[in-house]
Amino acid sequence: MKILDISLGNLKRRKLRSFLLLLSIIIGVSSSVFLFTTTRSMEQDVADKIDQFGSNLLILPKAGETLSFGGVTVGTSFGKELDISMIPLMKTIKNNETLATISPKLLAEATIQDKKVLLVGVQFADELRLKKWWKIDGLEAGQLPVANEILIGSEVARILKLSPQQLVQIKGQEFRVGGIIQPTGSIENDQAIFMDLTILQKAENKPTAINLIEAAVLCYTCPIEDVTIQLSEKLPEAKVTALQSTLESRDDTVQQFSLFATIISVILLITSGFVVAMSMISAVKERTRDIGVLRAIGFRKKHILCMFLYEVSLVSVLGGLIGFGLGMGLAMNFGSSLAQMTVQVPFQPILVLYSILAALGISLIASIYPAWKATKLDPVEALRYF
Amino acid sequence: MSLIKVDNVSKTYQGGEGAVHALKNINLEVTQGQFLALLGPSGSGKSTLLSILGALNPPTQGQVLIDDISVYGLDEERRSDFRHEYIGFVFQQYQLIPYLTALENVMLPLAITKYSDKEQREMAQRVLEKVGLGQKSMRLPNQLSGGEQNRVAIARAIVNEPVLLFADEPTGSLDSKTAKEILELFQALNRDGQTIIMVTHNLENLAYVSHSVQIRDGIIVKSPEPVVGGAV
Repeated sequence: MKILDISLGNLKRRKLRSFLLLLSIIIGVSSSVFLFTTTRSMEQDVADKIDQFGSNLLILPKAGETLSFGGVTVGTSFGKELDISMIPLMKTIKNNETLATISPKLLAEATIQDKKVLLVGVQFADELRLKKWWKIDGLEAGQLPVANEILIGSEVARILKLSPQQLVQIKGQEFRVGGIIQPTGSIENDQAIFMDLTILQKAENKPTAINLIEAAVLCYTCPIEDVTIQLSEKLPEAKVTALQSTLESRDDTVQQFSLFATIISVILLITSGFVVAMSMISAVKERTRDIGVLRAIGFRKKHILCMFLYEVSLVSVLGGLIGFGLGMGLAMNFGSSLAQMTVQVPFQPILVLYSILAALGISLIASIYPAWKATKLDPVEALRYF
Repeated sequence: MSLIKVDNVSKTYQGGEGAVHALKNINLEVTQGQFLALLGPSGSGKSTLLSILGALNPPTQGQVLIDDISVYGLDEERRSDFRHEYIGFVFQQYQLIPYLTALENVMLPLAITKYSDKEQREMAQRVLEKVGLGQKSMRLPNQLSGGEQNRVAIARAIVNEPVLLFADEPTGSLDSKTAKEILELFQALNRDGQTIIMVTHNLENLAYVSHSVQIRDGIIVKSPEPVVGGAV
């Protein structure tokens, strides 16, 4: 017999108390694991959604004359343009799975009703995926303009007095106003006419030219710096720029999520710790006489301390393991649907270790005081205790 | 030569109604092989004296030498080791650990030794057989009678062969037949050379001891003297 056997014997004997102690640890650990894994996936989900909600990467020619677009100076020099063939090349980078949307653009000037306007040639499917916040009068949700239709910024529509379905001449061709973009607050959207990229390329007699590429990169798992470097290597003639403001705003949101999850997990674990402490205080009181006997027959204080700590450690390790299994299982099976997210919660085996360590750490911290109190019991007094 | 030498020991407790002098200037010597009864009425201070002799309760004044070791000159942890090595206790109400079997209860003092589990079991089983409980070693305390529990407590007290065996009212809650069996067991142990100090208030128990001391109101009123017709 060793001290550990005494601890085991006590756990077996006090089945209900041991079970409740185990249950409190399981609840604490499983809730934390569930919350942690689910919110981590939610973070990814949110990050992905934010990343898709507007571009966070801009690709421009390395030099050239400029026009302003999106607060960014863009090249318009006909000699320094990008080529549409860059798009498939972009998809060959190592982290190509992070490239959620690629939207090439050709910029041109046009005169309509004696007024100069900016024409932006886009691939409507990609552009509308990138600009999910656009509200377009005259276009149903999910509907795409056809090739001879254009989308007009609110400011252009106001100045040119254009409305949906109206016909308008641009560079000698007739286009139908497919929709008018409601005011977005940004000049580049409100003061531009968006039209099919291929048609503009033909009209400009630049069948493969583009001026810039906007991209949405899902950079939760892969730092955007890596993607920027990889793209720069693939496109040596282009300047690849990550839009830091977009990334920082995304990071702020994700960090808020992380903070929330961490706080809740810590609260849950501390609550479990209190339950453990209460249980241990009651165990010490319940076993005062036993402690007196053990001290009288020669057990040192450290033996008594070990006896209680072994006991709580056994329950904690078991609770940590079961708690991990339960929390992970729940998160993998129900996390996504409960949080209404598209990202699946992946199995994270490393959390077994963290679960056991957290359960053990919290329980030991919670037990130290009661166990220490047990060692301080006067054996004579303890033996009188009934 | 004295195995135990109690030198001018006093014990005062601070209670709600002022100081209580449990023991006053006790002087006592016990030699190897004695079976000594500490006799006295309830509240006389005999259990306090036993706890002081048992290295459990530091006296307010005086010193206790056991085997020439000043017991209360040792720090608390060394005193635990001393108790483990020198003293076996049989407590009132036996104080068995309820969730351990008789065998495991007897093994308890061995749990902090280097003996292997197998050796511990063999030693504990041997002692249980010595006290007549070899067949009931796997029973829990609540499956044993009062007398049997007392025997387990005795087995636990002697399993690591202590120099001294202390018993506090070991027959207090037993019927006369069982009490007699227990006292005979103590007598047998004493015959094998075990030094025993037993606290009792029952004068009939004097028939089994070799020496007795009478205590009243914290004072020894009758010095150790051989009991006529007692053990040894």
